[in-house]
Amino acid sequence: MIQTFITSFKLKNTYRVNSIIYSIKGFPIINKILPNSLYKNKALKIFGNIISILWEIVSTFLWKGLYVWLVLGSMTFAYNTNQVNTFLHIFVFSTLIGGILNTYLLNPTKDKYYAIILMNMNANTFALTNYFYSMLKLIIGLMPFTIIFGLLLKVPLLICISMPLFVAMIKIIVIGIFSIPDFKKNKVVKNENLPTKKVWILLAALAILGFGLPYLGIVINQIIYIVLFLISIILGIIALKEIIAFKDYKKIYKVLLTNENVYAVQNANSTQNIRANIAKNIEYDGEITSDKSGFAYFHELFVKRHSKLLTKSVKKQTMVIILIFIILFIVVFINPSMKEGLNSIPLTYLPYFVFIMYILNRGTTITQAMFMNCDHSMLTYRIYRTPKIILGVFKERLKTLITLNLLPSVAIELGLMILLYITGGTNNMLNYLILFVSINAMSIFFSVHYLVMYYLLQPYNINTEVKSSTYPVVQAITYFICYYMINIRMTTFVFGIATIIFSILYSLISLILVYKLAPKTFKIRI
Amino acid sequence: MKLIIKNLKKNFDKKEVLKNINFEFEKGKIYGLLGRNGAGKTTLFNCLNEDLPIDDGEFFLKDKEVRKIEAEDIGYVLSTPNVPEFLTGREFLKFFIEINKDRIKDEKTIDEYFDFMKIEKEDRDKLLKDYSHGMKNKMQMLVNIIANPSILLFDEPLTSLDIVVQEEMKQMLKSIKKDHIIIFSTHIMELALDLCDEIVILNKGILEKIDKNDLDNTKFKDKIIEALKEE
Ligand SMILES: Nc1ncnc2c1ncn2[C@@H]1O[C@H](COP(=O)(O)OP(=O)(O)O)[C@@H](O)[C@H]1O
Ligand SMILES: [Mg+2]
Repeated sequence: MIQTFITSFKLKNTYRVNSIIYSIKGFPIINKILPNSLYKNKALKIFGNIISILWEIVSTFLWKGLYVWLVLGSMTFAYNTNQVNTFLHIFVFSTLIGGILNTYLLNPTKDKYYAIILMNMNANTFALTNYFYSMLKLIIGLMPFTIIFGLLLKVPLLICISMPLFVAMIKIIVIGIFSIPDFKKNKVVKNENLPTKKVWILLAALAILGFGLPYLGIVINQIIYIVLFLISIILGIIALKEIIAFKDYKKIYKVLLTNENVYAVQNANSTQNIRANIAKNIEYDGEITSDKSGFAYFHELFVKRHSKLLTKSVKKQTMVIILIFIILFIVVFINPSMKEGLNSIPLTYLPYFVFIMYILNRGTTITQAMFMNCDHSMLTYRIYRTPKIILGVFKERLKTLITLNLLPSVAIELGLMILLYITGGTNNMLNYLILFVSINAMSIFFSVHYLVMYYLLQPYNINTEVKSSTYPVVQAITYFICYYMINIRMTTFVFGIATIIFSILYSLISLILVYKLAPKTFKIRI
Repeated sequence: MKLIIKNLKKNFDKKEVLKNINFEFEKGKIYGLLGRNGAGKTTLFNCLNEDLPIDDGEFFLKDKEVRKIEAEDIGYVLSTPNVPEFLTGREFLKFFIEINKDRIKDEKTIDEYFDFMKIEKEDRDKLLKDYSHGMKNKMQMLVNIIANPSILLFDEPLTSLDIVVQEEMKQMLKSIKKDHIIIFSTHIMELALDLCDEIVILNKGILEKIDKNDLDNTKFKDKIIEALKEE
């Protein structure tokens, strides 16, 4: 029994260490410095192991801490009801929701798939040992936080201690009293990560009861909680017996651990899924054609056949922006005392708009669609990779991307200019011009940035797996820089001019880089 | 015209996949490149297509004089068909014909190309997304042939096609072979014997030609299997 557990733990660890090394390997620089036989490298293995163990510890506590703090702690203050009771109320209902959504035992994860389906380990011992390990982790991980937050809210200590047990018991009951008997009778197991309609309705009902009732001033109290807790212990013991006595975990997992189920969890964001989604976005009604020729023809068809992803979404954005500004204008009209405050938006909040322009820019989605639906196949044709064609298509794409993204940005700058005007204006007329140009500059900057990054760092291989870590890192850095801009307060005059100069320089340099390098870098990774 | 490979080497990490490749491929012949799984057939093609950097050696075209291989000289058909799914068959062809305008000798109409490739009328204006595996494969071959490159590399292309399509493709390849250097990788010997003029074996990182001389087919097969087994 212990042996099975240790083997499965090692298996999970090896798998994790390899993924860590794999992502380290994705950096070209590190890959050059380090020896080639990286997977065999001892130091790196040790490093990977340390990270893996740290991850095990952090994951034991981190998510639970966040849960107690964000869901329980902060929500408790959102209502006017008694704090201790509200805390318990939200806790009980979110535990029920969590019990249904994540049972651990029947969660179709990759490590189960490897161990039981691929390695043919003893399913019963594997299931039980790993299950008890995760229940233990759950109780240990939750305990410190329920105690700390509970005591801060003046919840009695014994109740604080009972809470993690309650969570474990609910999860055990869901399996022992519902799932396993259901399987015995109907031979079906439901994938908890893809709830059925009935389950969704139940979850929604629980959520409404949990987070809605406190609004009406209705919450459970300590007595009710204690009764619920005692019931959960009694039912939990019955369920536990059922779980231990059950001997057909192999059959359950055979049903549950299908490729689809396993992929549905781990790879909700996997490229395969993204690819399937993007492929669904191709629109074709026979009407859509183009009278251009060569790569202009090719590109125009791409744009027209992906209009939902490209044009339509940008138009929607623009409508929303216009709507927001109209509301702002009405507010100013109704309540002139707001004028002064709103006047500062166009005059000092320009850095904030870097972040907004970042959010609005559709570069990531669009380049992703370009790869999945177009370049993924086209790049396998040598002729498509000749400099003439690469740069020709690049130019067409750049034009489209800039034009598309300019639509919402024009809405924003016109909105800001009008807002500035009706809230009292500015004594430097140049500000209008700077607003207009700098927001356009930001928009163009992002369009250029995404497309250039794509052409210089094309990260996918033929199976649409991301093979480069540089690309995600550049994306993350872009995000953090833009996010950091939120905190900057600078006059529009200074920041606007800086933005314009930066955008022009960046665009020039990166376009030169693309013309020099893209014929070499823009290919499918091997 | 000849494709000449000299001392080509390619390693992955410490693993020498292509040790020392020396060979001359001639125009007008179909070469069957036989090798076991993992022998390095795909790697060799990737190197010739400059998808992978090589570690040593060189390869070039020799006509009257020696010249570097340009992108336009190579058509490479991968084992899995890759076609842009948002285009119809007709649009895909149109695009390829247009970007290759100055290289196509006697341009035919799009429908003539479809006829040549035996793609049914009702399929020609469907999105490639809705093509079957075999039809995608045909499209991929067709656009590689249209541009009329001197070298055609086929990486196990017929393996997944049904026998009727296989037969069609064989006839098609035979009909165009006089103008091209065609190299055809496969691990299916019957296919190679049936279609190819020369059998070349990739084994242990070395490329060598197996002469048929005057052996009958059974003896020739035995000879090839011996060569493939060789340690
Ligand atoms: N990108 C790569 N990195 C490391 N090893 C590779 C890579 N591509 C191929 N190999 C290895 O090179 C050898 C030859 O592979 P391949 O050329 O695909 O063989 P074949 O096409 O003859 O079946 C295999 O052992 C394979 O594992
Ligand atoms: Mg291969």
